Amino acid sequence: MKKIIVDNLKYRYPSAQELALKGISLEIEKGQFIGVIGPNGAGKSTLCQALVGLVPHFYHGAYGGSVVVGGLEVLKSEISALALKVGLVFQNPFTQVTGAKLTVYDEVAFGLENMGLDRAEMIERIDRALTLLDIYRYKDRNPFDLSGGQMQRLAIASIIAMKPQIIVLDEPTSQLDPQGSEEVFRAVDKLKSEGMTLVMVEHKIEKIAEYADKVALLSGGELVDFDRPIRVFSRPDLERFGVAAPVYTRICRDLKIKDEKTGLYPITLEGAVAAVGSLE
Amino acid sequence: METLSLYVDRDSPVHRVDPISKLLYILAATAIPIILPSLLTAAVVLAISVALLLLGRTFRRVIPLISVIVFVLLTILIIQGLFRAGNVTPLFQLGSLIFYREGLLYAVRISLRVINIMLAFAILILTTKPSDLFETLVRKGLSPRIGYVLSSVLQIIPQMQNTVGTITDAQRSRGMETEGSLAVRLRAFIPLIGPVVMSSLTQTRERSIALEVRGFSAKGKKSFLNEEIQEPYHRFIRWGLLLSIILALVWRVAA
Repeated sequence: MKKIIVDNLKYRYPSAQELALKGISLEIEKGQFIGVIGPNGAGKSTLCQALVGLVPHFYHGAYGGSVVVGGLEVLKSEISALALKVGLVFQNPFTQVTGAKLTVYDEVAFGLENMGLDRAEMIERIDRALTLLDIYRYKDRNPFDLSGGQMQRLAIASIIAMKPQIIVLDEPTSQLDPQGSEEVFRAVDKLKSEGMTLVMVEHKIEKIAEYADKVALLSGGELVDFDRPIRVFSRPDLERFGVAAPVYTRICRDLKIKDEKTGLYPITLEGAVAAVGSLE
Repeated sequence: METLSLYVDRDSPVHRVDPISKLLYILAATAIPIILPSLLTAAVVLAISVALLLLGRTFRRVIPLISVIVFVLLTILIIQGLFRAGNVTPLFQLGSLIFYREGLLYAVRISLRVINIMLAFAILILTTKPSDLFETLVRKGLSPRIGYVLSSVLQIIPQMQNTVGTITDAQRSRGMETEGSLAVRLRAFIPLIGPVVMSSLTQTRERSIALEVRGFSAKGKKSFLNEEIQEPYHRFIRWGLLLSIILALVWRVAA
C-alpha cells in the first residue's frame, strides 16, 4: 500500500532563482524506512517540508507536480489536516518545544488539544508515547530542563501521540552529542518495529545503512537514486554526489571483500563481519 | 527552569480559587474604592487583600513589590500635601514647608488605590499558575493565539536571556571587553544585537513550524488536558464580588 506518492515535484523558494527540487518522483510503501542522503543544498529538507505541506503552504514559492501523503493531496490540504497524517521532527530540539507548557506531559498534550480529543484519549495517547520513547519518568519535568537527546525524544513523542501514519525526521541528531544521537536512533528503531512509515534525512550514513529499507540519494535538487541501501552505497560514483559510503563499505572496498550472495560491498558491521568470515 | 512567572507554589485556600474569581477580585478591589472614595472603603479593601495574601502565604513576596512603588507614593504625598489646589488646613510644618490636610488626605486616597490595585494583581499573580490562568481565559473565549503568546513569553524570554549569555561568552572568549565602564558595556552591546536578533528570528520561525505541524492552526474546537475545576464556592465568590460592585454603585447613587 502506497503511503507517499511524489510525482514530478518541482519547487522554488520565493526569494530564490533556482529550483530547490527539480522533478522528484518516488513512491513509499507503508511501514518502510526511507533514508534521505545527499550533500548540503541537495534539497533533502525541502523534500521533507514538501511531504508535511510546509512547502508550499508555509514557505509559498513556485510549486509544480504533486505529493500525495496518506491519501491527501498536499497542495489541496491544510497543514493542520496533513498533521494528522504526517508528523515532522527537525534538527533543533530546543525550538520544537512549544514554550507554552510547563511539563513534559502537558507538552505532549499540546497537539492533542489542538486536535480536540477528549481527555481520556489524550491521557492514553500521552502515556503510550512517553513510554514508547522511554521518557515517561520525566513527565513532570519542565521540557527546557531536558538534555538534547531527551528533548528530541520529547519532540518525537509529541508527534507520535498525534498518531500520524508517517513520520518525517529531518536530521534529528545533527545537534546532539553521541549519547543523544544514540537515544534518538533507539527510539526510531522502536518506531520502525511498530510498523511506522519513516522518512529520515541523516548524515550518519552508517545508521542509515543499518536501519533504512530504501535510500533516496539527492543532489542539486534531483533524485539521483532511490534503491536498497546496499545498491546506493555500492555506487562507484557515490562520492561525486558528496556522500561517503559507510566506513564498513570503504574498508571492504579497499580490501576487495564482497558479500558472497550479492556480489556487492557490505554496508553494515554485521555484513562486513559475515563477508570476512566467508573468506575463511 | 527559570521562568518570568512570580507564581509561588503553595497549597492554600487562595491558591485553590479559580482564576476568573481572582480577576473579578481585581475588578472589585479597583472599582469599589473609586466608586466609594472614602478612606474607610480603601482601608477595608486593603485589609481584605492583605488577609488574602497572608492566607495564601505569599505576603512576604509582596513587600519587594511595594517597596518599588514607595518612592512614587512618597512623591505624591509630598507634592499633594504641599501644593494641591484647595489646600487650606495646615496639618504640620517642616521648616518653611507647610503640609496641608486636604492634600495629604487626597494623596493617601490615591496611594491606597494604587496599593489596592497592586495587591489585587499580586493575589492573582502569586497564587495562580500562569498556564492555568491563560488556559482558563482561552476556555472563556480568548484567542488561542493570544493565549499561546502570553503563556510562552514567560518561558521563552529567559531562554533568550540564556542565548544572550552564550553569545556574550563567545564574544568574550574572542577577546571582546564586555565588562567595565558604561561606555565599554555599551560598545560590547552593539555587536551583541545582530546575533541575538538573528538567532531569535530563526528560532521563532522554527517554533512556528513546530506549532503548525502540531495542528495549532486547526480550525476545529480545541480541548484541554486539564479538567476545569468548578467548585460550588467559586460561583459564590464570583456572584459575591459582582454583587459588592453593584451595591457600591447603588450606595453611591443613593447617597
